[in-house]
Amino acid sequence: MNYELQLDITRFLYCEAQLLDHHQYLEWLDLLSKDLRYRVPVRVTRERKEGSDVVYEMTYFDETYASLERRVRRLYVKSAWVADPPPRQHHLVTNILVEPGDTPDTCRASSVVLVLRSRGSVEELDRIVGEREDTFRREEGQWKLLSRDVRVDEAVLHAINLSMFL
Amino acid sequence: MLSDCKGATATITEDHFRKIREAMDQALLPQWVLTDPEIYALEHEKIFPRTWQFLAHESELKNPGDFVTRWMVDDPVLLVKGEDGVIRAFLNSCTHRGTYLCAADSGNRRTFTCPYHGWTFNWHGDLVGVALGNTLYGAELDRSAMGLRPLPRLESVYGMIFGNLDPHAMSLREYLGDMLWYFEILLKRTAEGMEVIGVPHRWVVEANWKLTYENFTGDPYHVQSTHRSTVELGITPHRAGEDGRMGHQIVLTHGHGVNITQLTYVPPHPYQHTPESLWPLFEQSLSPVQARLLKHASVLVGGVFPTLSFVSPQHGTEGEVFNYLNFRVWRPLGPYKVEIWSWCLIDKEAPSDYKQQAYRAYVGSFGPSGTLEQDDTEMWSRVVQASRGHMVRNKNLAYNNFANYLMGYGRVEPDPTFPGPGQAYPGFVDAVSRSIHQYWFELLTADNAAEVMSHEL
Repeated sequence: MNYELQLDITRFLYCEAQLLDHHQYLEWLDLLSKDLRYRVPVRVTRERKEGSDVVYEMTYFDETYASLERRVRRLYVKSAWVADPPPRQHHLVTNILVEPGDTPDTCRASSVVLVLRSRGSVEELDRIVGEREDTFRREEGQWKLLSRDVRVDEAVLHAINLSMFL
Repeated sequence: MLSDCKGATATITEDHFRKIREAMDQALLPQWVLTDPEIYALEHEKIFPRTWQFLAHESELKNPGDFVTRWMVDDPVLLVKGEDGVIRAFLNSCTHRGTYLCAADSGNRRTFTCPYHGWTFNWHGDLVGVALGNTLYGAELDRSAMGLRPLPRLESVYGMIFGNLDPHAMSLREYLGDMLWYFEILLKRTAEGMEVIGVPHRWVVEANWKLTYENFTGDPYHVQSTHRSTVELGITPHRAGEDGRMGHQIVLTHGHGVNITQLTYVPPHPYQHTPESLWPLFEQSLSPVQARLLKHASVLVGGVFPTLSFVSPQHGTEGEVFNYLNFRVWRPLGPYKVEIWSWCLIDKEAPSDYKQQAYRAYVGSFGPSGTLEQDDTEMWSRVVQASRGHMVRNKNLAYNNFANYLMGYGRVEPDPTFPGPGQAYPGFVDAVSRSIHQYWFELLTADNAAEVMSHEL
């Protein structure tokens, strides 16, 4: 096991979670490669013989850096009602396993993310849990997120919307 | 007439219904009816089992044995395609002890076996296997009487499959009425029609079904405020104040409605930014009047009462915009909750790279993470949050607790030059919402003794 790599990426994921928790989305964009592919496929209930229950033909997010940047910019606009008053949210990232990539400047990591969001005085928390598969690339000495797939557990989301990122 | 209603409810009186009626005559709606649990119980009894509800699109069931499971409010439904190409719909519940029979969302099966005691049904719903049947029950067990219970009514138009629990309901085509003309523009504009991309999105929101239905079907007014952020960012084409922009709200029968925004001139990207290869197909399949409307249209949005809405917009995630068709069912889960089912449909004959871009445009705008959807759900939730208290809930309307539907009331007349069927009002009006309330009230207070009798047989 490459301890330095494990620590580097774990720290990356924790710092990323903190930026997302604090609505620092512009700073979050700095962690992303311009070549990013970011996908959250729909999960369905399917019998085992049908194969995978992850549906990539329909997704919750299917993003490039440019489309994510646009989503982020919207959240800063005065009339993005979903972001103001801001909800309180946390990304709990755990089960982090890091593997070296095919070249020294890449690596991949799997982790589990639990996103909890509290809106207004609403009693129930919005809650989403999923498994991330990430790849990273070192760009000008810094690790950047190159791709992310999040397999959420819910086939029916119990969040009124996905204004947060997973 | 109202004795029926009283039977089903504890505290709503004839006088309360009279007050609702009086308010509606002044283009108001008492706020308490939106989330009142007794009203919800009445809707559950009188509206949902008597109206046509959208279940699936034919492109979701391609091969024999393909199935999808759906819900008609609280009734689980299994749709399966037979070897004869016919799609049948059954209550998704084993006839032995009532178990939820098929637990998967979709798939392909030769038969459906209930895991509880092992009874097996085929594509026609016939009971074809009883575990240890002859030993335990003897040969006289009448299996023909124990097939899956079919939905009383299943009909489709242009690939859209609807179900109805009322065996005496009018036909789907009669129920849709002039909506068929607009459905042709949305669904029958090429020989191959539309296809569903992937699977529907499903998520649960804090909202009442009447408001979500009305939001799509009769409320283009909310766009300028709720969705201002997307206009500011150019995600939604900016048309406000632009010369040549023209909007119509079309009142149809049975609480249905359509809103169409079009340009008086041919837009630089006609036919809603669809690929050019489709334009001749549109002109072939549609009447000249329909084709012209589509050519000039920027957005079509509307709904089929009670729980189906649709929008055919133009959106993009990176600047360029694309057209898709979003159908959504507002499945009521009680007076305060709705499970949204949202399908993305795209012209089957569109080039594959266009389909890919249009699908991404849908995800970025009207999917659960969509920039438009985010703000809608926030607003619906806020209405519910403010609707549980004493002042809003006062049935005697002592606190002036009315929702306001005055826009255009008694001031705006239908535009006789509008080329489509229905009553087309120009500009922003609440005409469709008022018509939704009328039909809702009519069903809620209808004397349905005849139907009740027939259900008892």
